[in-house]
Amino acid sequence: MTTEGGVQYNKIAEIKGPLVIVGDVENAAFDELVEIETNEGERRLGKVLEVGFGKAIVQVFEGTNGLSIAGTNAKFVGKVMEMPVSKEVLGRVFDGLGRPKDGLPDPIADKFVDINGEPMNPEQREYPKDFIQTGVSVIDGLMTLVRGQKLPIFSGSGMSHNLLAAQIARQASVVGTQDDFAVVFAAIGVQYSEAEYFRRSLEESGALKRSVLFLNTADDPAIERIITPRVALTVAEYLAFDLGMHVLVVMTDMTNYAEALREISAAREEVPGRKGYPGYLYTDLSTIYERAGKLNGRKGSVTQVPILSMPSDDITHPIPDLTGYITEGQIVVGRDLFRQGIYPPINILMSLSRLMKDGIGEGSTRADHAEVANQVYDAYSRAQEVRALAGIVGKAGLTEIDLKYMDVGDIFEKEFLTQATDENRTIEETLGILWKIVSKLPKNEITKIKDKFVDQYYKEE
Amino acid sequence: MAAKGRIVWVSGPAVRADGMSEAKMYETVTVGNSKLVGEVIRLTGDVAFIQVYESTSGLKPGEPVIGTGNPLSVLLGPGIIGQLYDGIQRPLRELSKASGSFIGRGITTTPVDMTKKYHFVPTTSVGDEVAGGNVLGTVQETDLIEHSIMVPPDNPGGKITNIVSEGDYDLETEIATSEKDGQTISLKMYHKWPVRKPRPYKARYDPTVPLLTGQRVIDTFFPIAKGGTGSIPGAFGTGKTVTLHQIAKWADSQVVVYIGCGERGNEMTEVLVEFPHLKDPRSGKPLMDRTVLVANTSNMPVAAREASIYTGVTIAEYYRDMGKDVVLVADSTSRWAEALREMSGRLEEMPAEEGYPSYLASRLAEFYERAGRVKAVGSPDRDGSVTLIGAVSPSGGDFTEPVTTHTMRFIKTFWALDAKLAYSRHYPSINWMNSYSGYLADIAKWWRENISEDWFSIRSEAYSILQREDTLKEIVRLLGPEALPDEEKLILEVARMIKIGLLQQNSFDDVDTFCSPEKQYKLMKLLVDFYKRGQQAIKEGTPISDIRAMSVISSLLKARMDVKDDEMPKLDQLDIEMQEQFKSITGVKVSN
Amino acid sequence: MLAPNSSLEQSIDKILKKTEKEILSDLENSGSDSKHTLDNSLPKLEHEYDKIISDGKKEAEKIEKQIVGSSDLDVRNKQLLLLEEGVNKVFSKALDQIANTDRSGDYSNLIKTLLDEATKILGTTEVTVFTNDKDKDVVQAALSQFSGAELASDTIDCLGGIIIKSKDGAMTFNNTIDARIERLKPLIRKSIASTFGVGN
Repeated sequence: MTTEGGVQYNKIAEIKGPLVIVGDVENAAFDELVEIETNEGERRLGKVLEVGFGKAIVQVFEGTNGLSIAGTNAKFVGKVMEMPVSKEVLGRVFDGLGRPKDGLPDPIADKFVDINGEPMNPEQREYPKDFIQTGVSVIDGLMTLVRGQKLPIFSGSGMSHNLLAAQIARQASVVGTQDDFAVVFAAIGVQYSEAEYFRRSLEESGALKRSVLFLNTADDPAIERIITPRVALTVAEYLAFDLGMHVLVVMTDMTNYAEALREISAAREEVPGRKGYPGYLYTDLSTIYERAGKLNGRKGSVTQVPILSMPSDDITHPIPDLTGYITEGQIVVGRDLFRQGIYPPINILMSLSRLMKDGIGEGSTRADHAEVANQVYDAYSRAQEVRALAGIVGKAGLTEIDLKYMDVGDIFEKEFLTQATDENRTIEETLGILWKIVSKLPKNEITKIKDKFVDQYYKEE
Repeated sequence: MAAKGRIVWVSGPAVRADGMSEAKMYETVTVGNSKLVGEVIRLTGDVAFIQVYESTSGLKPGEPVIGTGNPLSVLLGPGIIGQLYDGIQRPLRELSKASGSFIGRGITTTPVDMTKKYHFVPTTSVGDEVAGGNVLGTVQETDLIEHSIMVPPDNPGGKITNIVSEGDYDLETEIATSEKDGQTISLKMYHKWPVRKPRPYKARYDPTVPLLTGQRVIDTFFPIAKGGTGSIPGAFGTGKTVTLHQIAKWADSQVVVYIGCGERGNEMTEVLVEFPHLKDPRSGKPLMDRTVLVANTSNMPVAAREASIYTGVTIAEYYRDMGKDVVLVADSTSRWAEALREMSGRLEEMPAEEGYPSYLASRLAEFYERAGRVKAVGSPDRDGSVTLIGAVSPSGGDFTEPVTTHTMRFIKTFWALDAKLAYSRHYPSINWMNSYSGYLADIAKWWRENISEDWFSIRSEAYSILQREDTLKEIVRLLGPEALPDEEKLILEVARMIKIGLLQQNSFDDVDTFCSPEKQYKLMKLLVDFYKRGQQAIKEGTPISDIRAMSVISSLLKARMDVKDDEMPKLDQLDIEMQEQFKSITGVKVSN
Repeated sequence: MLAPNSSLEQSIDKILKKTEKEILSDLENSGSDSKHTLDNSLPKLEHEYDKIISDGKKEAEKIEKQIVGSSDLDVRNKQLLLLEEGVNKVFSKALDQIANTDRSGDYSNLIKTLLDEATKILGTTEVTVFTNDKDKDVVQAALSQFSGAELASDTIDCLGGIIIKSKDGAMTFNNTIDARIERLKPLIRKSIASTFGVGN
C-alpha cells in the first residue's frame, strides 16, 4: 500500500514545521497521499492539505526533520491513505501509521479502506441500548456503558486512568451473549511503559488474540498521531461492520492528538481559536468520535473509550470541553480521590453516561436501577455539600440528618467506589451495594425511588 | 446562461474556481467530476469562492465547476413532515438507498416523493382572482397536518383559468392555471424558495400567547411566547439536548422543526426511534406526524452545517404561512457559528473575537428576526407563528464568549443551564437566578384568563422565596444553617421544596415528563401556601423541627410524579391534609 | 493446740479453696478461651486456606488463559511467516521470468504503452527517458513517436520499463516494471495466498 503510481515532483518550494510545500504541481488532489523521498532513499508519508495555483501543501506524518529543499522529492500517489484490513489483523501490533511493528509481514488485505471513513448516515444508525457489564461498580451502577457508545475518561497526568481502561478492556462483557468481541488499542504519544502495560494486561487475560494494537509512543513522530486514531478506527469499523464483531476501542491520549493538530495549524498560520487550538478542533474531533456506533441490519458495534489527560486538571480546557460536547458522557477521574488512594478514583458528580437510561432497567439490568442510582447521586451530592460545610462550621454546626449524609459519603467511597483492579463485580452485586447505601438513609429522605422498590429492597439495619 | 469554470484551488470545504464571471452570489454550483453541491460565497474578478456541501477529498484543480443559475433553495410542498433531511434538504433515507449505511457523495434526490398522490380539495374556483400566498386548496399531509396549497408568495397570481376538481394528484400535476397580463401561470402543489430569503408576511403581532412546553421551570418561571425567541446555553453535560427534546416533544405547536446542527448522530437517531412511538398529549397522534428533522451531524461536511439553519427556518416559515404555530429548535447555533468561522478563515477574512467573523452578530440577528407571530400574505386570513429556540454551546461553559453574548442581544428568553445544578442531578438544570424571560408581562394575561386570577402574584411569591434563599445561602456558607432564626430556616426549607417539587422535572418519568398548566399552577400554589402557613406557625411559636417533620412534605415533593394531569382533585386532597397537619402541630403548641 | 492449728488449717483451707476456685475458674476460662480461639481460628484457617486455593486458582486460570491465548497466537503468527515465505518465493520466480523475457515483438509495444501512459500523466513529451541496459534499444526505437523525448545516457537498474523526467527537472514518473509490480503486490499477494488456501 505504500508504493503507488503517481507523479514525483522534484521541486520543493518550502519546508516549515511539519509541512512541505511542493512547487510546480499540476496534478494533485486534496487529501491525496504523498510519498516524500530523500536522495538517500528514505521514505516518509504525508497528505495534501491544500492544492492550487501550482502549489501543494503537504503535511508530513513522520516530521520534516532532516529534509532538505534540494535533496527531497514528493510523489503524489493518486489516492487517499488506505489501511489494508482482514481478519488476520487480530493479534497484531502496528505502528502509528498502520505498518507492522511485530516483525510479521503486511496483512494480506481483504480490502483497502480509506482511513478517514465516511460519516454514518444518522438514519441508518441503530440507537445503542445493550448494557455492557464492565464489572466496575461505579461504571455499571452509575454511568453505564452501552454498545456503540463513545464514553471518554477525563483524567490528569499520573492518575490511574490506564489501569481503569485496561480493567474495562479485560472485563467488558454483555451478559447472556456469545457474540464475538475484539479490542482495538491506539496508543497516541504515550510512554512505552503505558502501552506495554496495556499489551501485557490483554495478554494475561488471554485477549491478545482478539486485539489489535496501534502504537505511537512518546518518541515516535508527533504528526503521525493525526493518523493513529484513524487507522485504528478503520480496522475497528471493518471488524464491527464487515465481520460482525463487537469492538471496544481504547485510545490514549487524545490530548497528544489535539496537540499534533495544533502544531500543523500553527505551521499553516491559521487564525487560532481558544488556547491556540484551531477553530475546527471540534469538527476534527467529531470525525474520530462519531465513528462509534451501531448500524441497522449489521451485527457488530464500535464502542469507544478515549482517554485524555486534562491539562492542569482543567475540565474547561478546549480538549476535554470539545470532547465532552461530542461524546455521550464522560468518566471524570478526580485528583482528590486519587490522592486518598482510592481506586478507581471517579468523581461521580462530574461524570455521566448519556445513554445509560436506555441501557438499564427491566430486561437488561433491573427495574429499580435508574431510581436507586438517582438517589445515590443525590445522596452523595448532599454528602459533599455537608462535608464542605463541616469544614467551615465544624460537625457541631450540622444537623443530625447532615451527619447521616456524611456517613453515606464515607460508605459510598469505601464500599462502592473502591474496588480491586482484578475484582469483577456482577450487576447484582453492584446494585446490592447501592441499596446498602440508600438503606443508611431514613425512609422519608428517599424522594427519588418509587415505594414499591423501597418496600422490596430497603433494609434498615 | 450558466457559468462554466475550472477549479484552481482546494482546501477542505473551500474551493476557488476561475472562468466564473457569469456566476451570481449564493448561486449553487456543481463542483468537480463527482458533481458535488456547492454555493458561491464570494466573487473576485472571474474567480468564484465556493463552499462545498460534501467532502472534497480527492478533488483536483482543473476539474469543472458548473453553475445552476439558482440560489440554494428548498422544495416546499406536502411530504416534508416526518422527513429527516441533511443540511441542504436531501432526505437521508433516500441517500441511504443510494449509498448504504455511510453517506456517499454527489447523490441527487428530490426532497419529497414527487410521485406520491395526495387528496386535493380545492377552495378556489375558476374566475377567482388570486395573489401570492393565496390558498388554492388543501391536502391532508399527515393525520395531524392539513397542508394548504398556496400560490408562491412571489408569484403574481392573477385570474384562475383552470383548477382541478377534488381528487388524488401527485406533486408534478398542474393543479391550476392562472392568467395575469396575458401570461399563463402554471401552479403545482409545490414551489421552491431560496433559503436565505425570509418569506414575506402581511403584518406582525405582539407575542402574547405562551408556548406551553409542559416544563414547569419554563412555563411557570421563564416562559416563551408563540412567535418569540429563546436561547438555551450550557456547558456539556448540563442536559441541553434533553431539554430541547422535551420542548420538541411537548410544545403546543402544530409543527416542530428540529435542526441537529453539528451535533451527535445518535441524538437524531434517538428522535427517529422515539418520536413515532410518543403521542402528542393534545391529539393523541404520533409526534412524528408533526415533526421535521434537519440533521447535519458534527462529522458531516461543515459547509452544509451553515446551510442547515436556513433550510430549517424556511421550512418553518412555510408552515407558518398556512396559519400554523411552528417551533424551530436549533441545536446548536454555536456549531453553526463555528462553520461560519471556518469558512471565514479559509476566505482569509479579518477575524473579530476568538476568530469569529465580524458579521457573526448580524447573521445571528437575521436568523432570530425570522421568528414572529404574523398575518400571512394572501387570502383567506391566516395567523401563524415561528418560535425560534437556539441552543448555545459556550466553550468551557463561559457565557462571556462571543456566540452567547451576541445571541443574548437578539433573544428575549434566556434559559441558562448550570453545570453545578447538573452535577447535583438537578434537572432541568436551568438556573433560576441567571435566567430571564422578556415575555412574562405579555403572557400573564393568558394565565389569568385561562388558569387563575392570582397566577402572577403566586408566581412572584414563589420566585421571591428562591431569591431570598439565594442571599441566605451566603450566610449559611459562613456560619452553618443552625445560625439562622426559624423564619429564615423556613425559607431554606420551602426553597428546597420548590426546587425538588416544582423546578426539578424527570423527563424519563412517564407522568412527570409533561405537566399541564393547571397542575403547574396547583403545585406552585400548594408550596406557596405551605410557606404562608409555616410562617404563621412559626409566629405562633411552633419550632421549625416540627414543620420539617410533617409527613405531608414527602407527598408534596412526590406529587409531580404521583399525580397525573387528570387527577387534580388529589392535589386538593393534599391541600386539606397539609392544613390538618399544620393545625395539629400548632394545636400541640397551644395546649402546652 | 488444735484450735490454733485448726484455725490456721481452716484459713489455709479457705485460701486453698479460694485459690483452687480461682485456679479452676482460671483454668476453665483459659480452657474456654483457648477453645474459643481454636473455634475462631478454625474458620479463619479454612478461610485462609480457601483464599490461598482460590488465589492460586485465579492465578492458574490467568496463566492458563495467557498460555492458551499466546500459543494460539504463536501458531497463527508462524503460519503468517510461512505464508509470506511462500509468497516471496513465487514472487521472485515471477520476477526472474519477467527479467528474462524476450525483448522483441510484444515487448516493444509494452514499452510504447508505458511511454505513452507516462507522458500523458506528466502532460508533456519534453522528457528525458531512463531505462536499463537491456531495454535501451527497444526504448530508443519507440522514442521517435514522442517528439522532444530523449534517452538519457546513463542507465538505471530495473527489470524493465522506463522512468521519465520532465526536461526542467520538476516532475518524474516511474513506469518501470518493478514499480508497476510493486503497485500490484498487495493484490498479487492476496491471490497467491488464496491459492495456498489462506485468506479469502
